[in-house]
Order: sequence, then C-alpha cells, then structure tokens
Amino acid sequence: MLVLSRRAGEKVVIGDDVTITVIEVRGDVVRVGIDAPRSVQVHRWELLEELSRTNRQAASPGDDAVDSLREALRAREE
Amino acid sequence: MTVTARPASPARIRVPRLGRNHEVMTDTSDIPVIEFVRPMPGFPDSHRFALVQVDESGLLSTLRSLDEPDVSFVVVPPAGFFPDYAPAVDDVTAAELGITRAEDVLLLVVLNVGGSLDDTTANLLAPILVTHDRRACQVVLDDGAHPVDAPLVA
Repeated sequence: MLVLSRRAGEKVVIGDDVTITVIEVRGDVVRVGIDAPRSVQVHRWELLEELSRTNRQAASPGDDAVDSLREALRAREE
Repeated sequence: MTVTARPASPARIRVPRLGRNHEVMTDTSDIPVIEFVRPMPGFPDSHRFALVQVDESGLLSTLRSLDEPDVSFVVVPPAGFFPDYAPAVDDVTAAELGITRAEDVLLLVVLNVGGSLDDTTANLLAPILVTHDRRACQVVLDDGAHPVDAPLVA
C-alpha cells in the first residue's frame, strides 16, 4: 500500500481523472473530497462491506426455509 | 430517476414457475437468464442468474446463480410489502442498464429468509433492477435512508 502524508487542502491524484482532496482534519476525523467521473462508483467501504455481508447471509436459504416462507405468505394473503 | 415500487409489474418480464420441488431444474431452456452488469457485492464470480418463480401468486422468486450453482437468492417485488418504497436510481446505473423509464424495469429486493415470517427481512439498501432485455444490477442507495434488514412484515 502506498502511504502518503498530506495536509488540509492538499490533493492526491489517482489515474487520469480521480482527485482526492483533504478538506479538513479535526481530531480523528478526516474530511476528504473526491472528484471522479460519474462512471466511477464511490462508496464508503463500510457500506459495501455491510452489503457483502448481508448478501452472503441472504444467499442460498434452505429449501425448507423457502417452503415455509411461501406457506406463511400464502396464509397471510388468505 | 425514481423507480417506484408501486407500478413494478412483474408481468412485463415473464418469470416461469416451477413446481414444489423447485430444487430440481432439469430443463432450463425457457428460464430467463439474467445478466448482472456488475456482480452483487460478496459474489464477484456470479454474473448470470436464472430468475424462477417459486409460488403460485408470483410473489416469491429465486435468483439462482448459473456461475456458482450453490448460490441463490430469494427475491420479491417490494410493492406488496413496502408500498412507499421508491428508490432513486443514479443516471450512470440507468445508462448502464439502458433504462429511461421507471416502467421499464422490474424492481426486486433480496430477502434474508429467517426461521419464520417475522424473522424474514428485506434488503432495501440495495434493490435489484432487472430490465426487459434481462440485464440486472444491485443498486446501492447511499442515502442513509434504507436499511439492509427491514422486517418483511410489520
């Protein structure tokens, strides 16, 4: 991993069209601004991690579980 | 663009129904194959899925990975459970999927099937959009307003 020290107001450029600006450092919080083409997805790491975890948890439920869910939903509609 | 849950009409994309023994899929020729333009987070190797209806009412379907046969998801159109759910889809994703109108997509949410109906939750943070020409994307709604584990029934 490349590690750089930057001060508030300084920037880092990634590739041709992504620029990250350190906007403010206050205590243990660093505010960064990210300039990137709209086609580049920018997300907080935690959010994608939470989504990955949720997807893995939801994946491949047992046939029994799916059957009982189907029955429960049917009973609910009646 | 805002995709409302209400007009999500599953009828626009015909989803075949399988019998009770839905784990047995022998003839897949008429099963619609959905191609994800970006893989679902957590499953980078699964790009193609079969969308199969598992109940008579057409409410419950499964997305079964064709790339990793052990991987499947239970999905539902959210309209019947979350009538006010209207995720806004960013322009880039809309362009990637080639959608211009909300009516052109099937909106689905992934269920985390619990031991009972009360324990079953829906992922409203990241709904799945499916287009007419069977391309799909799990969209991340990074607006802090949508939980990953909304109880399916209140």
